[in-house]
Amino acid sequence: MENLAKQKVIQDLKPQQFGKRGMIWVGILLFICAVGLFAYIRQLSKGLVVTSMRDYVSWGIYISNFVFFVAISLVGSLITAVLRLSDVHWSTPLTRIAEIIAVAAITFASIIIVVDMGRPERFYNLFLHGRLQSPIIWDVIVITTYFFISMLLLYFPLLPDLNILMKLKEKTSKGLDKLYSFLGSFWKNTPGQIKINERAISILSITIIPVAFSIHTVTSWLFATTYRPGWDSTNFGAYFISGAFLVGAGGVVVAMYVFRKAYKLENYIKEDHFDKMGKVLVMLALLYLYFNINEFLVPAFKMKKPEEEHLIGLFTGEFAPIFWFAIFTAMIIPIFILLFKKGRKPLPAFIAGCLVVIGSWFKRYLIVTPTLLHPFLPVQDVPDSYRHYFPSWEEWAIAMGSLAGVLLIITIFARIFPIIPIQETITEIEEHENV
Amino acid sequence: MKMYKYIISTIVLLSCLQAVSFSQDSTKPVLNLSVGYFNDNGRVQYLKANAKTKMDGKFKQVAAIKLNFYITSEDPSHLLGKGVTNENGEAVVFIPPTARDEWNSAATHSFIVSSEASKQFDAASGTADVTKAKIQIDTADGRNITATVLAFKDSSWQPMKDVELKIAIKRLDGDLNVNETQTYTTDSTGSVTAEFKHDSLPGDAKGNLVLVARIEESDLYGSITAEKTVPWGKYYKYESEYDKRTLFARRGQSPVWLEFMAYTIIIGVWVVLLYLIGQIRKLKKLGTV
Repeated sequence: MENLAKQKVIQDLKPQQFGKRGMIWVGILLFICAVGLFAYIRQLSKGLVVTSMRDYVSWGIYISNFVFFVAISLVGSLITAVLRLSDVHWSTPLTRIAEIIAVAAITFASIIIVVDMGRPERFYNLFLHGRLQSPIIWDVIVITTYFFISMLLLYFPLLPDLNILMKLKEKTSKGLDKLYSFLGSFWKNTPGQIKINERAISILSITIIPVAFSIHTVTSWLFATTYRPGWDSTNFGAYFISGAFLVGAGGVVVAMYVFRKAYKLENYIKEDHFDKMGKVLVMLALLYLYFNINEFLVPAFKMKKPEEEHLIGLFTGEFAPIFWFAIFTAMIIPIFILLFKKGRKPLPAFIAGCLVVIGSWFKRYLIVTPTLLHPFLPVQDVPDSYRHYFPSWEEWAIAMGSLAGVLLIITIFARIFPIIPIQETITEIEEHENV
Repeated sequence: MKMYKYIISTIVLLSCLQAVSFSQDSTKPVLNLSVGYFNDNGRVQYLKANAKTKMDGKFKQVAAIKLNFYITSEDPSHLLGKGVTNENGEAVVFIPPTARDEWNSAATHSFIVSSEASKQFDAASGTADVTKAKIQIDTADGRNITATVLAFKDSSWQPMKDVELKIAIKRLDGDLNVNETQTYTTDSTGSVTAEFKHDSLPGDAKGNLVLVARIEESDLYGSITAEKTVPWGKYYKYESEYDKRTLFARRGQSPVWLEFMAYTIIIGVWVVLLYLIGQIRKLKKLGTV
């Protein structure tokens, strides 16, 4: 590969300073985060009474958000590990996008769990007095492990790029130089280092798959091990994992489009990438639809008395608008868009990705809340506010703040590090030329 | 003139009927009081009163009625105690030691419960005439239970015939009949015999069961219970699950298979991660050479 072409790749892919739109974007995200923080301070000082959670709905949108974040974080293993191990090279420009989405999402999944606690200062008791028999402890262990693996999977492929960034003539700032130097000054691109690095990435790719499956299976078991209408299911592990892959892939498609537009990466994130990711998305949407049919059709066919109220509430009752909105936006409409070649062009694929992400968020809300409102024992002798749940402004602010926090991490990461692996792109172009 | 008298008489009659009807409307509902005597296996005897009233054609228990309990006569010197009815319309008073002389003075006693007039009800009272009686349980004849009802008459305890009673085994949440017969009636010797038909009924730590014979709400004797402990049960020792390794046990007592699986997975994954951290150190070394 000619040096000039190599330099062009580096120039194209190196982190870029925020423009005006970038600054506005970051400003908006910071503002939403600040409002969320203010709401959380109110919750800390006044207690969980500022939320709409009461005796029955004790898991509201915080836990819905948690499940959503855990789900979207699964994309790291899909794009990075599954496709890498399958020797699929077209996904190379997408690996870092997927990994930073995974790290950001899993970070806020951990944070939102603490937010859901009435007395967060007692969090340490979970480690001191936790029971190994409890799925909550399994979740704590597996989330910590997954976070750590995701960080390593982000870090190892970044090492060659750090070396490139340090060699750049035009420096962005002293702070960034120090950061690059701290993280990767030892990288000299020697054959020994490359070999170790590649082996480490391979080991991580293999390790992350069972851990990623565990994280979402265990999260599903938080529900499925509880004997309640809507949660008492043996289908939940597979149902959650298929849904997680779908929302993660949807998130990557959205991020691909945004980064492509914002950083003018049309030569690297090509229409072909949208086409292929579109096909992946259709397959995952069909798979998730299949599990949804399993999850709802069989209990609806039997219509056991304790399940009846819950299911009717979803199909035609109080939650029907959200339920059908989630089914159509997360699965059916994206399938119809992406089945056609024209639908897999960047803009329609981006719209389909947005629909998947939005629909999936509401799907998580539907997994958590309606079940809590339909316990086996009838709800009686309680205030009317206990019978329904609509999040308070504090809950909305915190939930939106956490979503903004995820986007902020991804945005700042893209400002500091190359969002498309530079060295891997150069290597692949060289290999392609040699062939 | 006759016609005039007839009209006047009709008007007067109607007025009287109206007055009677009005006075009936303003009458307070009737409070029904009843009282029962209880002797549970020789423990302190007590009286239980019940207050109810008829509303809309149905009897309803009345709470918060202040009651006075008397023995022999409704006289302050014969006051046994005071009580207030609960939400079930019941009030209980234990017969105090101060009533011992009065109790010993006769074989039959009248117990009286009364309430004073209030805004809701007029004054009311109820009585129960009770003859002193007791039940003796004998199990000398194998696994047959003989219960004898004795009443105190003519300065001595005499067997009483035609008294209905139950013979059962006392369990945690009620009585279990010793066989298929629900109730027994005493013969001329004042006795009944019941066969014990349970083979392996769990007893206490020594295999003991508590037999119980009951006369329930008898008009003559009140409610009397006698108990006898017999070693006819199956030895049962409560074993706490607290220290056993179960899925529902406390912290540190999880099943071994779970610990093995969980720790194997955790150690397996984290050994790999620590190895990879070691690889970072190795990369650093290679870079600084």
